[in-house]
Amino acid sequence: MKNKKINNLNFKIGISIISLVLLFIIIGLFYTPYDPNAMDGTAKNMAPGFTHLFGTDNFGRDVLSRVMEGGRTTFFVALLTVAIGAFFGTLVGAFTGYYGGWLDEILMRINDGVASFPSILLALIVVSLIGPGKYNVIIALGIIFIPSFARVVRSEYITLKERDFVKNAKLMGASDLRIMFVHILPNTKAILLSSLTIGFNNAVLAEAGMSYLQLGVQPPDPSLGRMLSEAQSYMFMSPWCAIFPGIMIVLSVIGFSLINER
Amino acid sequence: MNHPLIKVKDVTIGFRDKGNVSKVTDKVSFQLEKGEILGVVGESGSGKTMTALAIMGLLSKDAEVLEGSILFEHKDLLKLKQEELRKINGNQISMIFQEPMTSLNPVITIGHQIEEMLLLHEPELHSDERKKRVLEALQEADLKDPESLFYKYPHQLSGGMRQRVMIAMAMICSPKVLIADEPTTALDVTIQAKILKLIKKLNKDHGTSVILISHDLGVIKSICKRALVMQDGKIVEEGTVEEIFSDPVKDYTKKLLAAMPGREKKKLYNEAAEKETYQGHSKKLEVESTKKAERDCTEAETEAKRKSEIKEVRNTDEVTILEVHHLDVFYEENVKKVFAKKKLKKVVNKVSLSVKYGEVLGIVGESGSGKSTLAKAITGLIKDVSGEIKLKDKKPQMVFQDPYGSLNPAKKVSWILEEPLRIAGGYTRQERKEKVLQILKEVGLKEKLGERYLSQLSGGQRQRVAIGAAIIQNSRLIVLDEPVSALDVTVQAQILELLKKLREEHDLSYLFISHDLNVIYQMCDRVCVMYQGEIVETADAWDLFHQPNHPYSKKLLETMV
Repeated sequence: MKNKKINNLNFKIGISIISLVLLFIIIGLFYTPYDPNAMDGTAKNMAPGFTHLFGTDNFGRDVLSRVMEGGRTTFFVALLTVAIGAFFGTLVGAFTGYYGGWLDEILMRINDGVASFPSILLALIVVSLIGPGKYNVIIALGIIFIPSFARVVRSEYITLKERDFVKNAKLMGASDLRIMFVHILPNTKAILLSSLTIGFNNAVLAEAGMSYLQLGVQPPDPSLGRMLSEAQSYMFMSPWCAIFPGIMIVLSVIGFSLINER
Repeated sequence: MNHPLIKVKDVTIGFRDKGNVSKVTDKVSFQLEKGEILGVVGESGSGKTMTALAIMGLLSKDAEVLEGSILFEHKDLLKLKQEELRKINGNQISMIFQEPMTSLNPVITIGHQIEEMLLLHEPELHSDERKKRVLEALQEADLKDPESLFYKYPHQLSGGMRQRVMIAMAMICSPKVLIADEPTTALDVTIQAKILKLIKKLNKDHGTSVILISHDLGVIKSICKRALVMQDGKIVEEGTVEEIFSDPVKDYTKKLLAAMPGREKKKLYNEAAEKETYQGHSKKLEVESTKKAERDCTEAETEAKRKSEIKEVRNTDEVTILEVHHLDVFYEENVKKVFAKKKLKKVVNKVSLSVKYGEVLGIVGESGSGKSTLAKAITGLIKDVSGEIKLKDKKPQMVFQDPYGSLNPAKKVSWILEEPLRIAGGYTRQERKEKVLQILKEVGLKEKLGERYLSQLSGGQRQRVAIGAAIIQNSRLIVLDEPVSALDVTVQAQILELLKKLREEHDLSYLFISHDLNVIYQMCDRVCVMYQGEIVETADAWDLFHQPNHPYSKKLLETMV
């Protein structure tokens, strides 16, 4: 009883935080106080104040506008990354889990291979092959996210396929594909949803990491990770350049974690 | 000796949910004397298990005892601190649960699990001494070769063996009270009888008092002296077993007794008379007439009607809907290697049977006898077969034992019923909707239940949905694999009624699989007895139950509780 209440509270706080972050980003779609990439030589490294709420960076760019724009980029990358991972991961998991046998062995060994590299390292390899850039990072990270989804979905399929309702569906004459995606898939909803939120978190962090290493979004476009990386050299002169994108990342991660606590 | 061992007084247990209290039991009071076996009967949801859990202090977090007291040797168990309670639990009061599959820890060996009890309650014992005690306990629970059992894991044992291990574990500290919550419900009839015998033996040898909780009146009757009948959280009747069974006072008890499948009821009412009537009759005609006379009026009527109907079908055409000839069924053994060949193990051996149009053919046997495997082979779920399966009609449909597992939990009832039609194709959306509503009505479910998810339905309602999904496809042959084993007695009776009704309306044939002889007797025209993958006897239901030929059939009938 008590636990339930706390969990519920977690969920509510999580949802509120994420809605705030999303609201911030959505406003950024239509309106930013300044052009995020416009430099202003007269207003370099200004501390937060009334003209620039979050201050300016060393090129005189408005940090608030850049956080809005950067947050959008980061969320966009994370969303697509998770979508790619979840889509292909679910496909792989469903086929390997449902059919088993040699298909399972081959795909899962490849899966293990991919999963055994540290994710950032693997992403670096992929990016060095196909070149840096927003969309390449999405592809690189997406591939890395496949194994974790595949594992989760596969294990669900292995247990669910033995259940009598699947046998019942076979007796009705349902095809394998129908059984896999109409009968079994909805039953993995709970675990898929929590994998999605965890995955989204990791994707936000991974994008930030890649951009920090200057392999993701290319200048002058902002992303949260890129902003951190650029702010690094001016940490002591203008800490706000690092603090605000940092807060944005921390808030999103905390928000999604809390939602997942339910 | 005058003091009762456990005295439960006015215990009310309730769930608290946002300030609302829903009561599970209402002022339950009873006493357990030293050395007695007390039965507690009632349907699920009547509060039996909750009361037992309250005695053990094992209620889940959101349930609590609102009032009352539970005295054990003059100590109020409800007021004891956790540490003191832990000393009593297991040591002086111990419990065995219904499901031996899940009540043992799957990753710890049997020996260590039982040792754990001693580690907790008699920590001063030396490890050699402990092992000796464990082996003794296993021996006492009639388990063979305790030495090798000690190092085995639960999954290597059968259900009956696991329940024995549970009993050994519960008894190792020689408790004064043993609470057995549906200890035999998940087991086969033959094993059931042995476990009950074991409990009785322990009761006699150690003077352990037993509270035996069961929904099965037969079980209660076979080993208890005194019993309580519970309904909706209240004790509605209390007395000696003879009183309750021969002269039930309360309507509810009568209903419970009436819901017991046919043969058993008769057996309880008048065992002696039954024996007399049957002696000396060998000719079938005479036998038929005694059979009719012997049944009470309404039953005889429906029975006669059914019989004549079957006769009609048989007379007009002696056509079989299903013919199985020399069927072997193999099971794939788990092979861990990647590209190794499949290893096949023969589970069903040279089985031949036939089902006529409109007939109910029963298959009875212990679990592991290959009944379910045979059913799956006939429906085509198992492909590794050799022999002949001739089917004269549409593909048979199947109703499974567990209505919780056989229906898709992520879908609504109407979706589940509609799915076979969608797959078959050729129906418009409107036609499908209408058909679903019609089927809901036929299986006795309200229209609005169609919009519910399964988690909102009871076990009986779910089984109705499963039956509906099977008949909606217009198959003439339905395979029923233990369709009522997971249900309460009263619900069981309703489902069996429904099956009979549907059979008449749709002219269905059933292949009815069950380990419950009472159910088989009530439902089937002919019966096959399966033993270790082979059919050892096929006979008309009545003949089999009164003049079994094969020794195994005789043994089965003897173990009926």
